[in-house]
Amino acid sequence: MGSLSLSAISKSFGVVDVLKGVDLDVAAGEFVVFVGPSGCGKSTLLRVIAGLDEQTSGDLRIDGLLMNSVPPAKRGIAMVFQSYALYPHLTVARNMGLALSQEGIAAADIKRRVETASALLRLDALLDRRPAELSGGQRQRVAIGRAIVRQPSLFLFDEPLSNLDAALRAGTRIEIAKLHRQLGATMVYVTHDQVEAMTLADKIVVLRGGIVEQVGRPLELYARPANLFVAGFIGSPTMNFIGGDSAARLRAATIGVRPEHLLVAPESAGAGAWIGAVSHAERLGADTMLYVDVPEVDVLGAGMLTARILGDIDYAVGDRVGLTPQAGKVYRFDDDGNSIAA
Amino acid sequence: MDQIEKLAADAPLLPAARDVAGPARARRWHIAVFLAPALLVYTALMIVPLADTLRLSLFRSIEHVPAFVGLDNFRVLFTDPRWSEHFWAALRHNFYFFAFHILLQNPVGIALAALLSLPRLRGQAFYRTAFFLPTMLSFVIVGFTWKLILSPLWGVAPTLLGAVGLRGWFHPWLGQEATALTTLALISVWQYVGIPMMLIYAAMLAIPHELIEAAELDGITGFAQFRKIKLPLIWPTIGICSILTFVGNFNAFDLIYTVSGANAGPNFATDILGTFLFRTFFGNQLQLGDPNMGATIATMMFLIILAGVSAYLFGIQARMRRYAL
Ligand SMILES: Nc1ncnc2c1ncn2[C@@H]1O[C@H](COP(=O)(O)OP(=O)(O)O)[C@@H](O)[C@H]1O
Ligand SMILES: [Mg+2]
Repeated sequence: MGSLSLSAISKSFGVVDVLKGVDLDVAAGEFVVFVGPSGCGKSTLLRVIAGLDEQTSGDLRIDGLLMNSVPPAKRGIAMVFQSYALYPHLTVARNMGLALSQEGIAAADIKRRVETASALLRLDALLDRRPAELSGGQRQRVAIGRAIVRQPSLFLFDEPLSNLDAALRAGTRIEIAKLHRQLGATMVYVTHDQVEAMTLADKIVVLRGGIVEQVGRPLELYARPANLFVAGFIGSPTMNFIGGDSAARLRAATIGVRPEHLLVAPESAGAGAWIGAVSHAERLGADTMLYVDVPEVDVLGAGMLTARILGDIDYAVGDRVGLTPQAGKVYRFDDDGNSIAA
Repeated sequence: MDQIEKLAADAPLLPAARDVAGPARARRWHIAVFLAPALLVYTALMIVPLADTLRLSLFRSIEHVPAFVGLDNFRVLFTDPRWSEHFWAALRHNFYFFAFHILLQNPVGIALAALLSLPRLRGQAFYRTAFFLPTMLSFVIVGFTWKLILSPLWGVAPTLLGAVGLRGWFHPWLGQEATALTTLALISVWQYVGIPMMLIYAAMLAIPHELIEAAELDGITGFAQFRKIKLPLIWPTIGICSILTFVGNFNAFDLIYTVSGANAGPNFATDILGTFLFRTFFGNQLQLGDPNMGATIATMMFLIILAGVSAYLFGIQARMRRYAL
């Protein structure tokens, strides 16, 4: 229940083409995350799935049934909005139960379903409050609860955590993952935060400019990005991209090395592949980020190589260090930015 | 715990705190300076005339000499048949006029606003302007136009009704006692329906899009969406519209004066407190002006409006919830 299939979905607002032919299959029970930079069309795609916007062309199927032009409430979906969109004049219980009473479900059943959902989300004590009397995290849980009581086969989330502070975000992220395991429903989740994407997803869909760049399991995207964009988007800190001779030597237009795959040694310890001076160090305790100026190397973007070392290593600004990529951890890209198979 | 509170109570005020409190109090006069201009203008234009009206209602001119008669003018107004008949009739007409507006103008305004805020409506700007236009016209133009339209002699209404075969339905509505006030109320509703429409339209636009979309997903669409989601969120605005209607109706005068004249014809059938006050205060035809009785009527109008507004502010608005959107 809750499989989803998109074929050649396009969406234009007037002359602006926002989605340019999206194909995607989501199996029942899967947790799919759409990631991509702001404005790439993630929300638009989600809204097309929800039926809030209609696609300009292409077919949308849920559980194999063609859903083009089917009104949102008839698609068997529920959506959680970034702004929560709770009804301000209704109590938590009524917020959660409104859709059910609209469907004509018996009051006793509504009560039971609201209670089940509120127990799951620890909202029991808040059922008689109005949204204005709740904190951001509680409102978020009510919004999720409102989705759960409808027992949809497909959940849609549009950046549900982006209005929460960092601590709450981590907690709620875990709750959503648990919820997915408990309910077993299909979930489609939009975010621009790659940590959320990596930690929640069974399958990540990377979007850019209304086009799907790559679809795959999180570690697949990490290990085998299809192109420069995906390589740069997945992983934090961002992958180092190097052009020029260093790349040419590996028969590539560009090579990429993730910060965590750079071995750092003091210059005195012997030569690294690239040598430079530390221009900035961020010491986080568990790991240390080094930003190294390597004038001889053609680093794309920032002009500095980023290295991530486990543990607290005390390099000072100006120290000269040698950087060596770990064997087998260099990504190669051709002139068009596509990955070259190893 | 007790000890801590005691310590806190015993502790002297911090010297710094006292320094702050002292000069702040001394500098308060600037508040008066800033309030003065508005207060002066308001006093000259509103408070003084109002107070003088109240004073005037307690006097009677005997041989051109004002004499204090206490509340005797009010006794005359309520019980002396020469006055009371007109007064109670005018008051009754006023309530009828008001009820008509509340029951017709506001619901129609709400309905128009709801239709205007439909996302798929084409020509929104046109309808908005069209419905609001009469509000911006002078009551003289509106009154005169409708008088012409409805005139049995040269009006366009009989002809138009004739064109659809309903010539027999036409009556000189403004000229018949039974229908004159209703006709005037309808004209007034037609003219001013733009105001509740605009206020409520603005309130509806303020409802966030995502809230409406959440309702769509919950299957709450169409009229149910209006009733369950939008209406509760615009109640405060509807309250404001109602109180504006109330004040406007009990102060009404201009339209009736334009259409029916100061005598509020036919046979005083459209007489409301405003026209009654006008005739009494300034005199009309054979009737001599009586400023004291005029002031008495004006005082009554003031008290009625005061009572209505207070009832709204303390009874209804206090209980109405405004929801942060
Ligand atoms: N209703 C609309 N009318 C016109 N342009 C829109 C509309 N909704 C979204 N867009 C445009 O579509 C693009 C993608 O928007 P969106 O899907 O919200 O991006 P995001 O990936 O940040 O969620 C943006 O450039 C945005 O300006
Ligand atoms: Mg978005």
